Amino acid sequence: MRIATSTMYDNQTIQIDNLVAQQQQQGTEASTGVQLNGPSDDPMQIATDLQVRTTIAQENQANANIQNATTQLTTVDGAMSTLTSIMQSARGIAVQAAGGFTSPTQQSALASQVDSLLQEAIGVANTKYNGQYVFGGTSGGSTSGPVTPNGQPISSVTFNGNLNQQNEKLFNGQSLNTSVSLQQAFNFQSPDGSPDIFQTLITLRDTIQNGTVTSESAAGVNSPNTAFTGGAGAQAINTAGILSTALTPDANGNVDIQILSAKAPAGVTIAIPATDTVPQVLTAINAQTAATGVTASFDYRQQRLTLSSNAGNFSVTDVASAGAPTPGNFVEAFGLQSQANLQNDVSRQLGDIDHATQVMLNARSSLGGTLQTLNAIGTANSSQVVNDTKVQSGIEDADIAKVISQFSQTQTVLQAAYATTTRLESKTLFDYLQ
Amino acid sequence: MSYLGSFFGFGILGNALDAFQEAANVTSDNIANSNTPGASRQVVNLQEAPAVSGSPFASAHIPGTLGNGSIAASVQRIHDESYDSLFRGASSSQNFFTVQQSQLTSLQSSFGEPSNGVNSYFTAFQTAISQLASQGGSSTSARAGVLSAAQALTQSLNSASSAISQQQTQTIAQAGSIVTTVNGILDKIATLNGQIRASTAVGDNPNQLQDQRDQLVDQLSQYLSTQTNIQADGSALVTVNGQALVNDTVAYHLSQPVVGTAANGTPTFKIDFQSNPPAASNAPGIPLGSGQLAGFQDLYNNKLTAYSQQLDAFASSLAGEVNRITESGYDQNGIAGTALFASAVPGTSITAANIHVSIADPSQLPAALASTAAGNLVVPMNSANNTVDTSAALNANGGLADPPAAAGITGTLTVNVDGVNQTFTYNTNTTDTTVSAFISHFNSMHYGVTASFNASAQSIVFARDPSNIDLVHRAAQAAAGTPTSPDFTITDSNNPAVAGTSLLGALGAANISGVQQNNTNAFGAGDSGAANALLQSFSSNAGVPFLQTNSGAANVPAPGTFTIALPAGVTNVNVGDVLTVDAQPGGVGPQENVTVSAVSFNPATGIESFTATYANAHAAGFSISSAQKQTMGQAYGQLVTQMGSDLATANTGVQSQTALSQNINNARQSVDGINVDEETQNLIKYQNAYQAVAQSMNVMESLLNTVINTLGSGH
Repeated sequence: MRIATSTMYDNQTIQIDNLVAQQQQQGTEASTGVQLNGPSDDPMQIATDLQVRTTIAQENQANANIQNATTQLTTVDGAMSTLTSIMQSARGIAVQAAGGFTSPTQQSALASQVDSLLQEAIGVANTKYNGQYVFGGTSGGSTSGPVTPNGQPISSVTFNGNLNQQNEKLFNGQSLNTSVSLQQAFNFQSPDGSPDIFQTLITLRDTIQNGTVTSESAAGVNSPNTAFTGGAGAQAINTAGILSTALTPDANGNVDIQILSAKAPAGVTIAIPATDTVPQVLTAINAQTAATGVTASFDYRQQRLTLSSNAGNFSVTDVASAGAPTPGNFVEAFGLQSQANLQNDVSRQLGDIDHATQVMLNARSSLGGTLQTLNAIGTANSSQVVNDTKVQSGIEDADIAKVISQFSQTQTVLQAAYATTTRLESKTLFDYLQ
Repeated sequence: MSYLGSFFGFGILGNALDAFQEAANVTSDNIANSNTPGASRQVVNLQEAPAVSGSPFASAHIPGTLGNGSIAASVQRIHDESYDSLFRGASSSQNFFTVQQSQLTSLQSSFGEPSNGVNSYFTAFQTAISQLASQGGSSTSARAGVLSAAQALTQSLNSASSAISQQQTQTIAQAGSIVTTVNGILDKIATLNGQIRASTAVGDNPNQLQDQRDQLVDQLSQYLSTQTNIQADGSALVTVNGQALVNDTVAYHLSQPVVGTAANGTPTFKIDFQSNPPAASNAPGIPLGSGQLAGFQDLYNNKLTAYSQQLDAFASSLAGEVNRITESGYDQNGIAGTALFASAVPGTSITAANIHVSIADPSQLPAALASTAAGNLVVPMNSANNTVDTSAALNANGGLADPPAAAGITGTLTVNVDGVNQTFTYNTNTTDTTVSAFISHFNSMHYGVTASFNASAQSIVFARDPSNIDLVHRAAQAAAGTPTSPDFTITDSNNPAVAGTSLLGALGAANISGVQQNNTNAFGAGDSGAANALLQSFSSNAGVPFLQTNSGAANVPAPGTFTIALPAGVTNVNVGDVLTVDAQPGGVGPQENVTVSAVSFNPATGIESFTATYANAHAAGFSISSAQKQTMGQAYGQLVTQMGSDLATANTGVQSQTALSQNINNARQSVDGINVDEETQNLIKYQNAYQAVAQSMNVMESLLNTVINTLGSGH
């Protein structure tokens, strides 16, 4: 075959160009360690690569989020630990008060201690983390905190926050509740109507301070799935099935009671027909307040009857109406304590303290569970980052050994090409003409 | 040397000297042109001069004729036309890929993927949202982080979009200057045609002119596909896919490239012949075949335009999803949210070029969602000292404060979201027997409001859910024309105030009917419901719809069942697909959703048609889109994959076509190329022959001397 002179040159040039381009590509791969420097390097994998890069960034952010949530929950746990001590102190004071007072000074000192505990509890309720009130739900920051006290001494608290959960949503769609609501921590606005920590402390303080005594239904008086209602549809107290302890009227169909107190040492009898409704019962008892010093109220949510007096101890007993041989069982059916005195009263408040403490401890243990879950997710997430980084590296990274060996191979061929070209180009027939 | 003298040998030798001199000259010319592009090797055809016969002076006593030496009959150009067309085809193809390679390489580096492109900014935007969702709506730094990430994302989209449009402008400009070059070449070929024809007419061999013309056609084939037909008169007819570029001495000039309009309305790069008046903007243009001009045309029409459309679709999808969520949220001040992304040009739809962040103040970034829990619109459902068992029958359930009557109740809830009333029909005997059944029944309707049960508050929570993937409801909301808003209302057809008669009453609501969410009863500023919804939208199929096209010239004249042909190449519609169609071209409402009842495909034309029943008439060119089947990230990844594989194809094309054209050129050169060694040998051959002839001349001269001097001196 004839080879044109220019063909020889052109072919050499093109081959050398190709080899140089190849060497340059291999050089880039070897020096960056990356074979995927642009989408065209591997169009089949580029979409996966972009996805993996996004996933890794998401997972790293998720780790940061988990870290943040963990720190926040640790703060919350610290606050609840303080709250636990407050409740333990309050309980101690209640136990001491239930043992009887030695002097009004001591009484006042104990009350003032309870007041301090109350203020401390309000402080705990306003705990902040990273600018957010941790017990404020999702209400965001306000200058004073979600719980503000009213009155001096404090007679109630106002809640400016809400009870919503703060959720940590992970990239995989998993949602974790990373907050403890005021309800969970302080039994605030409890669905079962039991008093919250603030109210419990306020009541305890006032009881110790003022000697207010109450006789209250030990528990809700209703049977399951039934309730007394007030207003127009109010049921008679002897309606079958509502009271968990059935009402047994005396021979006249009455459940009369007698109240003895300092004001009424001889006792005041209050006539209660068994056909009365709860509002009628309250009206009958309150009609004698001037004589007995005792007022009655009914909590429809808790289904509890409360008799209270700030004029010292009193007692409530069932009495038979005129002509009846035996009395009815009003006191028993409504779960009242027959002797209402300060000691009994404070002892009964221990129940509220214990209940509120239990609710809080439940929240703490579920918080501990959340912390463990966060920790587990964090660990899983970190190992996922490692895996995804491996995937990314598998797509992007050059096989250095292979690239280096290809590089030297190309270099050898390139040198041969240079040498050949030099030889080819150095001689023509003219060189040998004499 | 036509007479036969006594020393007729001088004439013979003289002829040969002339012939060898000519041969040596041609060989020298070859050597001189060994590096001239397009030069074909030439050879001298040496012939025996005609024999001398019948002369009275001939010593004709012996048989045979005596030759009159050798003469150079012609100078012949060695050339094989068949290689030319092969080479030009390969060269066109090589140049087609070369321009694409250089343009796409520069576009790819502008995009900066996989490290510094839109994807990394989109990822940063997602992580910023994640941080906001984690830290809660009251974290100002997280809010600011989202805004700055959003700004960086829009800027990267703007610059990616401008990289594409700059490339488009450049494509036209570069093609324009090539057109000027091409027109110059066409003129030269036309001129050469004239000269060659004239020269051929007088029987000459215009070798150099032919070489020049072939070389020019070679050049021309770099720019567009050419076919050459050498006519009997020696002129060349040069055509591009059957349309004449040069016919004899007439050159048909190309006009500058313009962006015209294709039949389906998309802008199309094309080149016409110069004419007066200029070709219409929807005229089809010259079929360029291959070469640099075709490379630019393909780049513009099939690559850059497609990238730009995909990038715009990604930007508008992103803006659509994000805005729908932010507009249904509340900002830190409890004020109804606004769109996060907007077009920089008010009143235009959002594209990658004009997308920008329209919220400047971090506190105005909507991160919270409305719910009844925040507004205290629903009270505890339980009756005293009871816990609601969400799996227990609702009817006459003593655990509820207001249970439905024992016989069960029926009615409807009207859920009003974004100005659209949606009716939920309940029946506590069949579909909504328990609280759980009600919740799943309600949520399955995708009203844009979801129900859930809050066990600790013993209450049901209705919350705005902007992650509404239901296409029908989306379209209904779009059709209602009211903007997305955070508020919603739920109304019961039965009076919740009458005990035991209404579902809302049973759910513990004194009434949530007609209560409008507002900044006093919305979730607090610390809520991150909208941020969570945004987070969710990144991992759900909220990306670019798998189908986004228009009906071309087809229209739906009136309500009824019609078959619409999709544009060629769009072939991914299946029976049962729900498609959203606009009434007018360009996404103008009202929209409606149609279900595809039949699909047909014509393999000859590549056209797919689908049949559906329409409730409204639709003007020709109405847009057709389908539900999303990919995430936003995947939609963008698809664009990058497309770009990457286009460039990889161009790279491979350049390599293989370069090798191919080189091989063909080698073959061509082996016939018509000049080999210096060969020419040197020829030169030596002719030189030796010349020397021999000259030597013969000496002998002749000595013979003559003998005759003249020796014989003469004897007298």
